[in-house]
Amino acid sequence: MVAGAREGTPSDAVLGIVPRLVLEPASVEEAAEALRACARDRLAVAFVGGGTELELGRPPSRLDAVVRTGRLARVVEHNPSDQIAVVEAGVTVAELQRQLGAHGQRLALDPPLPERATVGGVLAANAWGPLRQRHGAGRDLVVGMTFVRADGTVAKGGGKVVKNVAGFDVPRLLVGSLGTLAMIGTVTFRLHPLPGAEATVLLPGLDVPAARAMLAAIRSSHLEPAAAAAILEGGHLRLGVRFEGFGPGVTEQRQRLLAVAERLGREAEPLEVGAASAFWARHDIIRSEGSVRFKITAPPAALAELVSAGASPLAGALRGGAAVLYPALGAAFASGAAADPAAVARAVEAARAALASLGGGVVVAAAPAELRALLDPWGPPPPGVAVMRRMKDQLDPDHRLAPGRFVGGI
Amino acid sequence: MPPSPLIAPELVRRMAEVVGEGNCISEAAQLLVYECDGLTHGRTRPALVVLPGSTDEVARVVRLAAAAGVPIVPRGAGTGLSGGARPTPGSVVVGLSRMKRILDVDLENGTVRVEPGVINLDVSKAVASGGFYYAPDPSSQGVCTIGGNVAENSGGAHCLKYGFTVNHVLAARVVLDGGEVVDLGGPALDPPGYDLLAVLVGGEGMLGIVTEVTLRLLRKPEATRTFFATFPSTDEAGAAVSGIIAAGILPAAIEMMDRLAIRAAVAATGLDWPDVGAALLMDADGSTAEAEHVSRRAVEIARTSGALEIRIPRDETERQLMWRGRKCAFAAMGRISPNYMVEDGVIPRSEISRILRDIGRLADAAGLRVANVFHAGDGNLHPLVLYDARVPGEEERAAQVGREILRLCVRYGGSITGEHGVGAEKAEAMGDMFNEDDLETMARVRWAFDPRARFNPGKVFPTPRLCGEKPGPHVPHPLELSGQAERW
Repeated sequence: MVAGAREGTPSDAVLGIVPRLVLEPASVEEAAEALRACARDRLAVAFVGGGTELELGRPPSRLDAVVRTGRLARVVEHNPSDQIAVVEAGVTVAELQRQLGAHGQRLALDPPLPERATVGGVLAANAWGPLRQRHGAGRDLVVGMTFVRADGTVAKGGGKVVKNVAGFDVPRLLVGSLGTLAMIGTVTFRLHPLPGAEATVLLPGLDVPAARAMLAAIRSSHLEPAAAAAILEGGHLRLGVRFEGFGPGVTEQRQRLLAVAERLGREAEPLEVGAASAFWARHDIIRSEGSVRFKITAPPAALAELVSAGASPLAGALRGGAAVLYPALGAAFASGAAADPAAVARAVEAARAALASLGGGVVVAAAPAELRALLDPWGPPPPGVAVMRRMKDQLDPDHRLAPGRFVGGI
Repeated sequence: MPPSPLIAPELVRRMAEVVGEGNCISEAAQLLVYECDGLTHGRTRPALVVLPGSTDEVARVVRLAAAAGVPIVPRGAGTGLSGGARPTPGSVVVGLSRMKRILDVDLENGTVRVEPGVINLDVSKAVASGGFYYAPDPSSQGVCTIGGNVAENSGGAHCLKYGFTVNHVLAARVVLDGGEVVDLGGPALDPPGYDLLAVLVGGEGMLGIVTEVTLRLLRKPEATRTFFATFPSTDEAGAAVSGIIAAGILPAAIEMMDRLAIRAAVAATGLDWPDVGAALLMDADGSTAEAEHVSRRAVEIARTSGALEIRIPRDETERQLMWRGRKCAFAAMGRISPNYMVEDGVIPRSEISRILRDIGRLADAAGLRVANVFHAGDGNLHPLVLYDARVPGEEERAAQVGREILRLCVRYGGSITGEHGVGAEKAEAMGDMFNEDDLETMARVRWAFDPRARFNPGKVFPTPRLCGEKPGPHVPHPLELSGQAERW
């Protein structure tokens, strides 16, 4: 038995598999020690942060031990003048934002469930929120990382400065790898100032052609939203557009959007703080609730297909189904409950078939076991899968890190 | 002239069959051009240069070279400043200059698909009428190619706000070491699987040869506001930069020059810049109200930080002139020194003043002058070490000062390169920044793409301490050993 381990319980399960052992290291060194011990005993391992994206991927083909990152909870360094922070993997996004906020800064990443989601988990699962439109995803905000390889080797990549091209960007590669290549230990983030002002404008009742026209007008009017999300309701989109920045710029942008809407003969409502919060709270619920969650993608210009072939039928196939779209990004999330798993699986396959020719697809982000059994959560393997397998062979030669969980059975 | 003796005539003949006689260069005199890139003080003659015209030709060239066990060195325009395209002895250089078609412009999705030989600035020109541009803007953007930008993850003055090449590459077609062609990334975001583009971009031509790239375009900002401020010394200028950033401002670009760099720029362009200790050139962009507000705030901060004079360009022509003064700074060094070496290091922004004083001391001790031009917003220094190659020993002293500056950068928590890449030049310095485990992890990433280290050997990894050139042992999976599965 690995030192410091406790027995696994059902609450430690990863995709339904209960590990025999659970390890809870309190430092990167302890994590390395734990992984060395697991390597010695040839144990298959999975990493668990806040558990908000734990249902992503296939159940591992083998799982002996879970390493929980909850005790890796220190903000190691925050240097406001250099706008960087070094953070252990188990720090929750909300806790990090609280500490940074005290200095007028933030991590410009807003994934669902920030009170639970940890930075390590968010990066491993490539979770993101509406701010991606302006600031990119997690991979765009990571400037360095210390990680622990399957054999317990601690290594790092990147650095502590925003601009750096020394060596291959291994940290960026680990983002989205779902703990199948290495364990994220500490992360160095690039930070942004908290915006001095923000404003959300609501554009309700848009059908797809109207939404497309509105989005095109937004683009050609030099409007630069920090985020835009549309809630799908009764076949129509309720589009919320958020501006952030300095007061004068935000005011100008908001007024201009109202003018654009008027020109197009569309209703537009500048939201008071309370109403804006309510809109984004509804968005958060669709992103985080429901026993079934899908991520749907298509190129941004294919908004019609994203709605008609993806978000709409998939939300429709779910009990209490709802969907939110990010039109500028070309992504949508649908969530709800699976009343009829077979019908839901058919809807996913149909959506995949329709979106594949556009280069898009559907990923199952959460699903109960009976639905999961009917689907590959990732969809067809991508063209680069042979190189991906070799990457796995190189970084986790014994295939002990969540084997089988990732794309193509990696 | 006889062909290079370094390569089998049969291989030359077969390469010529693939790319055409005129695109297969084996004569010594013609190979001269390919002996180095923009870093001219290290030269190696390649055995052969081929200029393929299509993905298929690249794949066939790679297969031929692989079968012959000949190293392959990809090359764009050869403007790199780290020796990344310097040939390995006995290598075949694969020049992508003929592959310069813009394949597809998709303004609705804000993307463009190009071949690797397309010039950086030509991408922006091709989409300018639609109100778009391609953001990464290395100073060499009028001549450097997208393929080279991908290999080096090129930045530029405006990457502080808009990011580097890696933030703008959505997909790439790549020829791997066995000649297989694979498409990475895609038109929709987050394609399932490992983010292989994350390492391919900045892979320094060691992971594969990119033959098509899909780039993200940006809308041209509505307004840009520029100002030029002079200061008694780099201390005040550095304080101004820190103050501007601390005020929550993200400039589109903020560039600093010290006295020597200003003098050189003045000598080269005739600009009427005063002889002062330091100058800042800043762009703010965005919507008109945002750009104006930000620029006004930044000017106030510059004043309170001790600016001597603030100049605001009256029109776009004057603005372009100011930027020309900054962008010509490297070339302008020729006006004040017979020779110079360009360094490229990064430091935490808050340490600017301290490290500049340290650099000054290093230069004094070596009896040399160092001019500083840099991207102040992200702490990316470009110290230019001035020397006279005719004075015995001076070049070596200059190189030594360059190495010491990089060590300083690492000591201050920075990096040995912000945008020029490691290449051949800084491979040894990698050991100052990364330990063996870090480097071995990177080597493993390389072997996943190129298990026999055929592409651009001898770059990035320090030798011979680390076995960067040798693939790791293949470890069979237990399922393979037990016969339950084939290699998958």
